[in-house]
Amino acid sequence: MAIIEARSLTKVYGRQVACREICLSVEEGQVFGLLGPNGAGKSTLVKMLVGLVYPTAGEARVAGYPPGDIRGRRQVGFLPENFRLHGWMKGAELLTFHARLASLDGRAARQRAAGVLDLVGLTGEGQKLVANYSKGMQQRLGLAAALVGDPRVVFLDEPTSALDPLGRRQVREILLALKEAGKTVFLNSHLLSEVEQVCDRVAIINRGTVVASGRLAELQDGPATVTIRLGGLTEELAAELRRRYPSLQLEGDRLTLALGDREEIATLVARLVAGGCRIYEVVPGRNSLEDIFVHLVREGEQACG
Amino acid sequence: MALFTFREAWRKKVALIAGVLTLAFLILYGTGLHFITRDMVNTVNPAANATSYYAMMQAITLFVMGIYLASFLVAGLAILAAVGSVAGEIENGTLYTLAVRPLTRRDLLLGKFLGLAAMLVIYAALFFLALAGLVYWQTGLIIPGLVPALGLFILEPLVLLAVTMLGTTRLSTLGNGVLAFALYAIAVVGGMMEQIGAMMESTTATIYTGVITSLLLPADAVYRRLVATVVDLMPAGNGQDLPRFVNPQMTLGPFGSQSTPSDLMLFYTVAYIVVLLALAVYSFKRRDI
Repeated sequence: MAIIEARSLTKVYGRQVACREICLSVEEGQVFGLLGPNGAGKSTLVKMLVGLVYPTAGEARVAGYPPGDIRGRRQVGFLPENFRLHGWMKGAELLTFHARLASLDGRAARQRAAGVLDLVGLTGEGQKLVANYSKGMQQRLGLAAALVGDPRVVFLDEPTSALDPLGRRQVREILLALKEAGKTVFLNSHLLSEVEQVCDRVAIINRGTVVASGRLAELQDGPATVTIRLGGLTEELAAELRRRYPSLQLEGDRLTLALGDREEIATLVARLVAGGCRIYEVVPGRNSLEDIFVHLVREGEQACG
Repeated sequence: MALFTFREAWRKKVALIAGVLTLAFLILYGTGLHFITRDMVNTVNPAANATSYYAMMQAITLFVMGIYLASFLVAGLAILAAVGSVAGEIENGTLYTLAVRPLTRRDLLLGKFLGLAAMLVIYAALFFLALAGLVYWQTGLIIPGLVPALGLFILEPLVLLAVTMLGTTRLSTLGNGVLAFALYAIAVVGGMMEQIGAMMESTTATIYTGVITSLLLPADAVYRRLVATVVDLMPAGNGQDLPRFVNPQMTLGPFGSQSTPSDLMLFYTVAYIVVLLALAVYSFKRRDI
């Protein structure tokens, strides 16, 4: 069952289109990654989903309610990008306040605040003023604030941007723990490796439009390279293949070329066999998320001139 | 949310800074009050005592001067406390985490208003009572109509708070501050013109200028009504000195209330606060954060 659903979500600021007819659906319990270059519309999309920004057109539902509905918000946690926390409060006090806002009563709120402080690695730091926290500590505290209401759905906008490698690893572990606990995580990130390690599904957004989406494995199975070790390749057949696959490279008995999709591998092998070749080995290349991302973003830029 | 806002103002030492400045003002005012009272009563009318009409009028004049200046400080605090309460929090990124919590934008905004209003009400009430106490200490006069006057003095910053809360839902912190102070200045100048016009029995145009500026921002009108309340409830005196042949408002000059705002104006002021708050909620609900 989809816990996050967007149908043709569009946001226009004056003459600038931040998001254009975005459709996506996230199942409960998934970790969903949203990728895109700077200014692609990722944060605007997340803000529309949590009810901070109103869409110009289209609609969305989160946890069964329209964004902004109080009933839905009880089930949502949000870590914004470029946020600041109230520096005049102490860490534990701030989290208790957020827990109270998330409808927990006094004692439960204090307990929950202490629990999430431990979870994000800020044990013993709760009595310090937030203003005295380092940037990384504030980022962790923001994550704790997002989780303090024990939400079903967590939106995290660049959660590791201010963290060192150890902090990033810790956030990854928290994300995996959330996934294990059956929570849905919507992760907005620049860090492809991070997305690759924790996400079940991803969408890539560029210039306000979703240019690819699906399971990570499906995307990685898309446009691919293949390396074939073969014998008996004639000059005529090699020339025919070069016309069809301009990226073709022949080194000794190894033929490497780029394909539109993985289904083409079978067609290619059949053509080689029909042309009298002996096939010893076929090794499909696997796209990294970075390859897919760069390919799609460049494609979008070329299309827009 | 109201408690959070109140605590924020307290912890950020807004109240402490305002308190220290107010104390400095009160010391200065008290010193001036002491010497002016002693010298004026003794020089002009050596026979006068606290119950004589002259001495009471003198004490009230000094009280009204104090209230006039205190209004500026209270108005300044009201504007500065609220000027960035929405726009400023969006600019610095603190509103995002609050605005996604399960509370409506109406509750968020009204919570902020109530928290700031509580601080301003306490501050204004203490300020007013300190002024009245100083006057009593130095002149022996209990300010006539103390309670209704206190209520009116408290109302003044709430008017400015409502205007500033509406502004902060749409304007930047700087723009909102400029607008709120400009509106207040217009209201004060308009009110002054209205009184001078009434004193000189001048053209209705001068008086209407004040009426229009009071409709725009009824802060000065509340002050004028406060002065009228105090002066109208002044006892007749013991008959030892000046008979009451002069309009006492006249002796207060432009600080007085020659042209006194009506009950309707008071009703308008309360309605003004309610309507502006409703507009602020409407505006905040519709904006992107």
